[in-house]
Amino acid sequence: MPVSFCETGVGRTFLLLPTLKTATIRRLSLLACALLLSWSACTSTRPVPDGPVRREITDDAGRRVSVPVPVNRVISLAPNLTEIVFAIGAGNRLVGRTSYCDFPAEAKAVAEVGDTLQPSLEKIVALQPQVVLISTASQLEVFTNQLQSQNIAVFVTDPRDLEGVFRTVDQIGRIVGQPQQAELLVQKLRERTQAVEKAVTGKPPVRVFYQVSGEPLYTIGRDAFVTDLIRRAGGISVTADVPGAWPKYSNESALAAKPEAIILPTGGSMGAANASVTEALRQSPAALTGRVYKINDDHLARPGPRSVDGLEAMARALHPEAFK
Amino acid sequence: MSSTASGFVNTMARQNRVTLRKTVISCLGLTGALMLAIVLMSLIGSEPLPARASLCALASFGTSACGLSRDQFDILFQIRLPRILLAAAVGGSLATAGAGYQALLRNPLAEPYLLGISNGAAVGTMIALVFFGANEWTRPVLAFTGALLATFAVYRLARGRAGATPERLILAGVIVTTFLSSVIVFVTTLMDATRIRSFTFWLLGDLSGTSKALLPVAITVAVVGTVALTMNARSLNLLMLGERDAFDLGVEVGRVRIVVFVVASLLVGSSVAASGSVGYVGLVVPHLARLSLGSDNRISIPSAALGGALFVIVADTVARTIIAPRELPVGAITALIGAPLFIYLLKRA
Repeated sequence: MPVSFCETGVGRTFLLLPTLKTATIRRLSLLACALLLSWSACTSTRPVPDGPVRREITDDAGRRVSVPVPVNRVISLAPNLTEIVFAIGAGNRLVGRTSYCDFPAEAKAVAEVGDTLQPSLEKIVALQPQVVLISTASQLEVFTNQLQSQNIAVFVTDPRDLEGVFRTVDQIGRIVGQPQQAELLVQKLRERTQAVEKAVTGKPPVRVFYQVSGEPLYTIGRDAFVTDLIRRAGGISVTADVPGAWPKYSNESALAAKPEAIILPTGGSMGAANASVTEALRQSPAALTGRVYKINDDHLARPGPRSVDGLEAMARALHPEAFK
Repeated sequence: MSSTASGFVNTMARQNRVTLRKTVISCLGLTGALMLAIVLMSLIGSEPLPARASLCALASFGTSACGLSRDQFDILFQIRLPRILLAAAVGGSLATAGAGYQALLRNPLAEPYLLGISNGAAVGTMIALVFFGANEWTRPVLAFTGALLATFAVYRLARGRAGATPERLILAGVIVTTFLSSVIVFVTTLMDATRIRSFTFWLLGDLSGTSKALLPVAITVAVVGTVALTMNARSLNLLMLGERDAFDLGVEVGRVRIVVFVVASLLVGSSVAASGSVGYVGLVVPHLARLSLGSDNRISIPSAALGGALFVIVADTVARTIIAPRELPVGAITALIGAPLFIYLLKRA
């Protein structure tokens, strides 16, 4: 016998609807809406906004930088940062470097984006990096804003001393997802540093003049990275209290400082420049006793893993008897 | 001879005696001031020296140390005095060159920097540094060549149908200056970061790199150049009337022009090769000389030379002591003093 719709359960619910109170209807319809929406969300064809996991790291300029995880495309805009990236085994992720980034040899195969002072924004964007590493020594603050407007994360490094270098290695390790390799590298560098410091403990610090260039005469000041290296190598820079990082120095004051040793950063990417002591220091105790030491500029001017090479070279020069 | 004619000749003779006396007095006065400045400024520097002992050592011309220690003696005679003498040579050269250009071109704005001559000399020096770095004699030679080439470029550009009018000249000068500045910037960008810093400093005027061999050259050029231009001062005076009129009065305009251009290029070349581009000296000092001593070139050219020497000595003392033991480029100080001074001069004129 056909049962009318109205006699079925659903039918009776429908018949019942007009008799329900408004409030109940409202509640029921809200529930229905909620259920409908969540169901559609689960099965919607519109993609969820793609959210790769992002990590926040504070850089040396105090900015909180949000970097994606994992990072596969990095550009380095300073030679020391390129060396660090390769040293922690992430060289295959480097897609861009400056024309000054010449170490290690594998770095030369990476695409060039210009020099440290004037890199090409177009080339950088075309390489589609996820992170760009810059050094404040390159004065790129203006540049940073342009990169950020292209949604490229910019990470600023500014190591002022050897501890700062270790911190930079750690930070870059975390950015490229190689924290263990970074930690291993820092550990090895620390061991070597401590060995040097131990060897020169107790020895009177040698008064050093660091000649950045001869004519005009430039040296290192209070804020220079090398000042810390000299201190750890058992020396004291005679210009350690001069304000600034690379002051143009007076010839008279250089002569009056009477340094016991002179360090000439030369060679490496600098070539044959700065290979002789400036005129004003030719009669200094250092020059007269032959304590003029030429050290590879790349080991001293680039705050990176090779800075420890520079540290060892200086320590050996200043305190040869400690390293027999 | 009629009485009016002899009266005229007497007046001219008296005029010349007056001028001669005025020249001698002003030159002696300025020379005295220069000597005083050399002595006083050599007592000032980033390292303190005992005043009495230093004066005694200076008076003995370096034969006696007068109690100065070895280092102090070296500072005084190997570093400070050569630097002060170089400052005098550079200041004198640039001021004389400026005076010469202003007289020849009848243009108060004519000076080595604005006309592009300094930049021409700087490009020459840069070529010498980059390609012949080891041999320091190539620097003044190539600087002189660069200055001369820039001079011809400016003069050629400025010469229109009406001759080199003041406006065309300044325009030509600005064109040549900016073009050569771009060349300098271009070469600078090819250098590495460390050299850029030191090179930029040098470009702004740096008297700290005193080469023992080139200092006598700079002094000789300054003296010879000033004398050469002063000998042509009478012709330059007549040229003030205009080239046509001067020619009618017997001035060999072409010869005078070549002499002034060559001598001025020598002066600018030797200065820039030694110390980079020290600006405003060639502009401000000749004006000061003319304002205080009159427009007669026989007085104003040698006075400008001595005044320029004084000006740069004082400016350099400021540059090397104000942030001691660090240094500023002397060109920065001459600009800071020279620019307001020039504005003041403009207002008075």
